[in-house]
Amino acid sequence: MTETADIAIVGAGAAGLAFAWSAAAPGLKIVVLEAGGTVDQARAPSLRQDWELALQTTFNANPNVRQGPADYPVDDTESAIHPAIFNAVGGSTIRWGAHFPRFRPSDFRRQSLDGAAADWPLSYSELEPFYDTNDEMMGVSGLSGDPANPPRAPRPCPPLPLCAATERLAGAFDRLGWHWWPSDAAILSKASRERASCNNCGPCGVGCPLHARASADIAYLAAAQARGIELRAGTAVVELERTSNGRTITGLRYKDADGEGQIACGEVVFAGNALGNARLLDSIVDHRLFGRGLMVHPTAIVTGLFDESVQSWRGPFAAAMVCQQFCESDPARGFTGGFQLQALRGQGPLTTALGGYGLRVPWGQSHIPTFVARFGQTLSLTVTCDDLCEEHNRIALHETARDRLGLPVPRLIYRVGDNSRKMLAFGIDRATEALRAAGARHIDVNPLTRNAGFHLMGTARMSSSDALGVTNSYGRVFGMDNLSIVDASTFVTAAAVNPTPTLQAIALRAATAMRDSHTGTEKAVA
Amino acid sequence: MTDRLIALLNTLLPGDGADWPSAGSDAMAARTIELARGAPGVSDALTAILNALPDDFGTLQQTQREDILRGIEADRADQFDAVVTVSYNAYYTTPRIRDVIERLTGYENRPPQPLGYELEPFDESLLDAVKARGPIWRPVD
Ligand SMILES: Cc1cc2nc3c(=O)[nH]c(=O)nc-3n(C[C@H](O)[C@H](O)[C@H](O)COP(=O)(O)OP(=O)(O)OC[C@H]3O[C@@H](n4cnc5c(N)ncnc54)[C@H](O)[C@@H]3O)c2cc1C
Ligand code: SF4
Repeated sequence: MTETADIAIVGAGAAGLAFAWSAAAPGLKIVVLEAGGTVDQARAPSLRQDWELALQTTFNANPNVRQGPADYPVDDTESAIHPAIFNAVGGSTIRWGAHFPRFRPSDFRRQSLDGAAADWPLSYSELEPFYDTNDEMMGVSGLSGDPANPPRAPRPCPPLPLCAATERLAGAFDRLGWHWWPSDAAILSKASRERASCNNCGPCGVGCPLHARASADIAYLAAAQARGIELRAGTAVVELERTSNGRTITGLRYKDADGEGQIACGEVVFAGNALGNARLLDSIVDHRLFGRGLMVHPTAIVTGLFDESVQSWRGPFAAAMVCQQFCESDPARGFTGGFQLQALRGQGPLTTALGGYGLRVPWGQSHIPTFVARFGQTLSLTVTCDDLCEEHNRIALHETARDRLGLPVPRLIYRVGDNSRKMLAFGIDRATEALRAAGARHIDVNPLTRNAGFHLMGTARMSSSDALGVTNSYGRVFGMDNLSIVDASTFVTAAAVNPTPTLQAIALRAATAMRDSHTGTEKAVA
Repeated sequence: MTDRLIALLNTLLPGDGADWPSAGSDAMAARTIELARGAPGVSDALTAILNALPDDFGTLQQTQREDILRGIEADRADQFDAVVTVSYNAYYTTPRIRDVIERLTGYENRPPQPLGYELEPFDESLLDAVKARGPIWRPVD
């Protein structure tokens, strides 16, 4: 007999697990199918002396290099940016930096305010309660009162401290009269529930053995299971079954360690990120815009070298402080939209030698002097650019290549647009100015980080009109009765900041509406 | 082959003749081979680069050896790149080198966890100037 679920969720990453937790209600059978297995962060590589090797292998952010058991190949031959995703319970948050900024109200109204991009069919104030709930669930450290953002609820934990390097930078921003603020971080500065406080060890990207850094599995899974949701790890969805008119998904076919199976479902919710979704939905979603308008955050990294050690290996590598002086659009700069400058701390010795965010330390006689001048003496700033939605940037499927499950290989097709190029150039100058003001003796510029395909947005953008978007504001696909997409694919604009708080807030909002419509409270989704 | 590998490692990572040892020792050569075996294609790259070295490579001066390697690097960029990476991997995960790093930089010769580093409280007075400048976000509606 075929198994049945009221709601089947594809993907147990940041969006999927937040959605599952929020949609859960007595009497509703919710099953989350996740291609990857679980990652035991209590045994993270940072407990081993050779932890940096894991960044090149099992924790490499590029699935084409990592080639783990749940990874599928991504054809990036036509892209300026390489993919950076992780396929496991927890999704890409297993590998992330936990920098946790929110979009600002203007990011949802770019057309009305700037005549650029499009307005979202929802506003910041509609999302705000879901941002707040998500902050509690993820366990966010930070400080309310940031003048670059609207007032927000007190942060669940006090901010993480600055370090010698970021204190210098704070002073430099003050001298320049620019904004800076301690980052909202999905990292506990105080122990909470089952999770310990951060001990400032540094390499969050290989997992946090203290569970201080939130990943979706750590923050949401147990709470969702306590509400009755069922997780099937190691279970890859390989096909959707539909009614003859194509409008209703009747079931999912999957492959797991035992072979193949099938699950009939009422609602199907996709949270596989834009690449994962495309493999199954490209042939299902009959909309001109599906797959098109891919936005990433084109990112430059500017590194300052100081004359003395600032011990920049201490502290979470990506969640320290942020400058949002240039986030809001200002036409006088010659481009639309803005960028954030996010501080990145230095790396371990091996990663420093291999180049860190810039060029490899040369081999030969100059190796040791160059290494000594860099290790522990650097601080970097990202220039994280808002990206315009351009239809030629897209995710398509390879015509012939298939992965080991028989699914088509997704193609990442992306080139950096003129607006983003101007923004990158302007932002690199500002980052250089700040690092020089902080006392950096030498500046290294990586003008476009190739390995920055971690924020994949816009390929199923939401709209209030089916002519202008693929889904409505709840992620329900236009023209489909029971198919929703709840991750960053539905973003209308990219904003200048990391996307995860916003995509999780969107998932929570959609889940609340779906739960209410199922439990009879409200008919909100369709 | 080990002599050649030692000569290659000595050229890539010659140390500084004082605090930093060169990479060319039996132990580091063995570790390089072990790490190369664990990474797809790297053993083959290492063999190809070693085979491309002239017979007298080990007897030459450092500058002459560097010149030869630069030529090989230009001809076989990908293979050479893999060999540099695995050599750095071996060097910087060797306890003796980590002792030097600790002595010279204060970065302790231990994994980041479980000890970590002290997490001091955030000093909010640092934000006085930012707060005084007031809001910079654009209200909507
Ligand atoms: C190195 C790195 C650093 C990052 N740092 C930050 C940061 O500091 N701040 C921030 O906001 N964001 C950061 N991100 C991005 C962040 O991780 C993503 O925005 C977020 O995880 C996306 O959530 P998601 O649920 O849409 O997708 P994911 O978290 O990627 O999860 C998708 C899941 O779906 C599964 N899946 C796909 N297809 C199928 C299928 N057919 N069947 C079953 N399962 C399937 C995948 O296995 C995967 O586990 C970073 C990412 C990386 C890689
Ligand atoms: S820096 Fe903190 S959050 Fe990051 S891995 Fe270390 S203990 Fe965990």
